[in-house]
This record gives sequence, C-alpha cells and structure tokens, in this order.
Amino acid sequence: MYTIGAQHMKLLVAEDEPKTGAYLQQGLAEAGFIVDRVLTGTDALQYALSESYDLLILDVMMPGLDGWEVLRMVRAAGKCVPVLFLTARDGVEDRVKGLELGADDYLIKPFAFSELLARVRTLLRRGTSSTTQTTLKMADLEVDLLKRRATRNGKRIDLTAKEFLLLELLMRRRGEVLPKSLIASQVWDMNFDSDTNVIEVAIRRLRAKIDDDFAPKLIHTARGMGYMMDEPE
Amino acid sequence: MLAGSSLVKRLTLMIMFAVIAVLVVAGMSFNVLSQHHFRLLDEQALSEKLESARHILSIQTPGASLEALRLQLRALLGAHQDLTAEILSSNGDVLFSDLKAVPIPDHYKRADQEAIWEWQDESHSFRGVTADVVIQGEQAPGTIMLMLDITSHAHFFETLQRWFAIGLVISAMVSAGLGWLVAKSGLRPVEQITKVATSMSAGSLQERIPLEPVPLELQALILSFNGMLARLEDAFVRLSNFSADIAHELRTPVSNLLTHTEVVLTRKRDLDAYEDNLYSNLEELKRMSRMIDDMLFLANADNGLITPQQVDIELNGLVSKLFEFYQLLAEDRDIRLTLQGKGIVFGDRLMIDRAVSNILSNALRYTPQGNEISVHIQQTEDKVTLTISNGGATIDPQHINRIFDRFYRADPARREGGPSNAGLGLAITRSIVQAHQGKVWCTSSEQMTAFHIAFPASRQPVGDRSRH
Repeated sequence: MYTIGAQHMKLLVAEDEPKTGAYLQQGLAEAGFIVDRVLTGTDALQYALSESYDLLILDVMMPGLDGWEVLRMVRAAGKCVPVLFLTARDGVEDRVKGLELGADDYLIKPFAFSELLARVRTLLRRGTSSTTQTTLKMADLEVDLLKRRATRNGKRIDLTAKEFLLLELLMRRRGEVLPKSLIASQVWDMNFDSDTNVIEVAIRRLRAKIDDDFAPKLIHTARGMGYMMDEPE
Repeated sequence: MLAGSSLVKRLTLMIMFAVIAVLVVAGMSFNVLSQHHFRLLDEQALSEKLESARHILSIQTPGASLEALRLQLRALLGAHQDLTAEILSSNGDVLFSDLKAVPIPDHYKRADQEAIWEWQDESHSFRGVTADVVIQGEQAPGTIMLMLDITSHAHFFETLQRWFAIGLVISAMVSAGLGWLVAKSGLRPVEQITKVATSMSAGSLQERIPLEPVPLELQALILSFNGMLARLEDAFVRLSNFSADIAHELRTPVSNLLTHTEVVLTRKRDLDAYEDNLYSNLEELKRMSRMIDDMLFLANADNGLITPQQVDIELNGLVSKLFEFYQLLAEDRDIRLTLQGKGIVFGDRLMIDRAVSNILSNALRYTPQGNEISVHIQQTEDKVTLTISNGGATIDPQHINRIFDRFYRADPARREGGPSNAGLGLAITRSIVQAHQGKVWCTSSEQMTAFHIAFPASRQPVGDRSRH
C-alpha cells in the first residue's frame, strides 16, 4: 500500500481508452495505490462526487463530459482534490484552460508511466510536511541538510552542490523510480528532454562517491525508466 | 447597394449613369449658353434702336411737323415685326406709339437707368428697355420704351428641352446595352482565370495561371494568385515530406520492435530473456515517443502555433545554467566550456533554453576530446548575437545549409548513431529562433565550427528600460 502519513491513497482514473485505463490501473495499483477506474466523464463525475479521493487522473477527451467539464463541476461542488490531466493535445490554450480551471498538473500523451507515477507522488506529497527533516538516513549513509554534508560509515564524502541536490532528491524519494527528466528538472532546472546522457554521467559520479567503496549499494538503476535509492531488504 | 451584385451589372449601371451624367451636364450648359446668347442679341437690338431713336429725337429741326417726326420714327421702329415702341413727352403725352400685341405695363414706364427688363403674360414673353430721352424743343426729358417679343425664343427652348429629355432616355437605354456588352467582353479574362482556378487540385499545385493573354490590370491578381499557389505548394510539399519523414523515421524502431518481439516469442525462454526484450522495447518506444513530441513541436512551429512568452532573459545566466548541466559531460570528455559577454533578449525562457541546449549538446557530440567549446554573447543596438564555436572536423559546405533540416545528419551512416539523437535538435532550435523573429546559421572552416543565433534586442527601447 502506498501511504503518506499512514493513510492509504485512493485514486480515480478516468480514461476512455480501455487498454490505457487498464494499464494505468494495474501500474498504479502495483505501486501501492487504491485505484478506481471509469470510462466516461459522467461516471467520473459521479464517482468523484460520491467517494473521497486523494487524486483524480482525468483524460481530457472523454465521451459524455470531457475532462474540463468534470473538473469544473467537481470544483463547483467545493472539492479541492488535486487533479492531473492527461491530454493528447499540447496546445498552449489547452494548458491555460486547464490551469485556469484549477488543474494541478498535466501530462501529454504519449507519456512514460514512470513519469506519471513521479508526478502523482509529487502531487500527493504536496501539502504534507516532510521538509522539516534536517537529516536523511539510509543504511549507514547520513545526509545533513543544514550543513550540506554527507557521511557514509562515518566517512565524510565530498560532493559538489549539484551532486548534493541529486543525492537529496533521491533520498527524499526513497523507493521511487525517478525518471531522468524529473531529475534534470529538479536538480538542474532543465525543463525539457535533453538528448544527452548527462544524468547517466551524474549518477555514475555520485555512485563512485557514495556506493563504490561501500556496501550495500544504495543507488539502483531501473532500466529504461530511471534511478532510485533504497536499502536492500 | 451594388455590393454583392454581379460585376457586369455593376459596370453596366455605372456606364449608364456616367453617360446620363455627361449628357445632362452638356444639355444644361448648352441651354444656359444659348439663353445667354439670345439675351445678348436682344440687348444689342434694343440698344441699337434706342440710340437711333435718340438720334432722331435730338436732331429734330425746329418747326418740323410732329407728323414728319412720327414718320421717321415709324420707319425706324415700325419695320421690326416683334418690336413694340412708345415715346412719352415730359408731360406724359404720347409722342409716338407702335403697339404690336399688348400694351406696355405701366410700371415699366419709369426710366431705370436703361436697365433691361423681362416680362411675360399668359402666352407671350417680352424683353424691353425704358430710358430717358432728350426731345428737341422741350425742357424736360421724355421717356422712351422699347419692348421685344421673345416668345419664339421660349418656344425654341421648350422644344429643345423636350427633345433633350427624349434623347436622354434613348441614350440611357443604348448606353446600358453597350455597357453590358463592354463589361461582358471586358470580364472574359476573369472567367478564364476562374476556369483555371476551378480546375486546380492538390495534385496540380505546381500549375500556374499563364500571364500572357491577360490584361495588365488583372496581372497583379494573377501574380498574387500564383504566389498563393506557390505557398500552398510549398506547405503541401513540406507536409508530404513531414509525413514521409515520420514514416521513414518510425520504420526503424517499429521494425526493431517487431523483429525482436517475434524472435523472442518463437519459443519458450527464461524470464530474463522476456525481461530483456521488454526493456529493449521500452527503449525503442521511448525514442519513438520522444520523436513524436519533437515532431509535434516542429509541426506546431511550422504552422505558427507556438507562441513564445515574452519576458526579458539574461543570456549569460541562461548559458551558465546550461553549462552547469553539461559540465559533467564536458569534464568526462576533457572539453573546456567558456563563456563571455552578456545580452538581454525578449522571449520564452524555456524555449530559448531548449534552443541553446540543443546546439550545446550537438557541439558536445562532435567536439573532439581535449578541445574547447566557447560561447560568446554580443549585444548591439538592435540585436543580440550568441555564438557557440568549437574545434573539430570542418563541416562540408554542401551540408552546412541543410544542417538545420529535420532528420538531416551530415553523415548518413550515423543515422542509427546516438540512441537519443533523432536529428531533430537543430531543426527545433531553428523553429524556436524563428518564432522569436531571430536567425540561426552555421559557419565552418579551418577545423572551427560556429553556430550563430541572432535575436532582435529586447523590444523595450533602451532608454525606457533604464527608467524602470
């Protein structure tokens, strides 16, 4: 179960393409969420109003009511549940419309599932206070956020500013596969896909400092998807 | 009133109105001129008679009988058919009278400085003059009145006007008919153009309407029409190429996916093999997804659908940030990154980020180990130039102009080269720069390649900015 603050997270997926919807449901369920899936906007509205969800994932183009309409009516009913839009169109006016209506994020199809998962977790994390921590720990790795210092097995590790940011990101989101695009955006403020292997190089360097001389290995590669940090169980 | 009606109808009506207007003006001028002419003739006749009568009255020998005087006057005045004359002595006695039709009205019997007067009763019109006259042998001057019957003039004008009206109606009808013929034949070239335009289809966009048989006035229309065809053809060709490019570029990953998946499925394998296949597929699919994103961006740019936000962007900071990102890669390959100069452009931060980043990553890909990539920013009055230069193999001049074309790679053998390099980066850069009204070009000589981006300088006038 994916929990934040010991609470099970419940999502609604409204997607009229049955295959996409089913895979989304499976993927999100396996990531630990409780997922309801509907195929039309009308059902989406009914579910969203009658049940209590932590996040709505709405396809924009749906039979019955479209995603915009559902969002409008959900907001009109006074529900401020976060909403993530899936859209096949990336017109600027679409984004503006979505944001005006109070959408929290949007993803343009085709998107990678790892990307969706990362965004969903970001949205769910929003508002919960995990920033009060001043030290992060994983196995014998300790990161002091105030002093900007990392030690492993009591040994001081020299990190550049960006390496520290990267490590902090990976540790804060332990157990989550972080797509390269998300890492580039969070650490280097690169908000578009760069067709280079900078992230690979950065991870390789961080590994050399954090993992190479130590055991267990903490940084893991999710092939084709991204990277994550976790202790082996 | 004429809007929307046929051109022939319009022209016909216009020609008709023009003819009527010309005729009316001519007729009215003729009328006024002839009236004036007749008046002059009358006045001349009246003043001649007046002078002669004065002469006779003034040279009258003393003692000559009144009868002899009257005879003389009758010889002068009575001979004229239409002339009525009356001479009064100073005490009001009628000295001479030659009344033809009607008596002279009383109120014209006072001398009024020889002014010409006009008068008409029911059937006749008159023009006359009243004047003082010295009569030999009398103390005070007498009065002489002369009056011409001008009824025949009036008749002449009436007839003239009637015939003019009839002529006008006939001319209007004839001019309408002729106008219709003229307009019809004058507009024949337009019909021909229409015929050609109607026969145009997507397949015949390379055809043009011939200029030769067309009148001069329509050539501008044909030229702009042909220009439109050229633009349409260009867009159409680009669209076709775009589709062909997509098909071609997607063929390789799709065929990889197909082959690999089919081979894996031909017999039972262990879990690792399946996993390996799925991972491999994932990589191909990601590449395709990325390509679709990029193609969509380019398609939108081609159609003018990307609208950059407009904010001031400090380029030095922007490049520094990109350097931070690419530093790792550069260090890995022992390439130095240097930056100098600064400049401010007005545009979309994310887009310009992407445009410069694409050139940087391209430079990193082709710069040999141990070399340098230098970025130079220069701000002048009206533009900001960003130059990214690196050492390395000189780009062949035949490639240099096509380097910004989508899917173009200088070395066709490298097509399958970098897994993430679809050959769209520089095309996207160009689209972004063009969306910012800028220019991007590449120079390469003597082992030195440079990409130049010129943006118009921030649109706010420099003086304006300093005040804020």
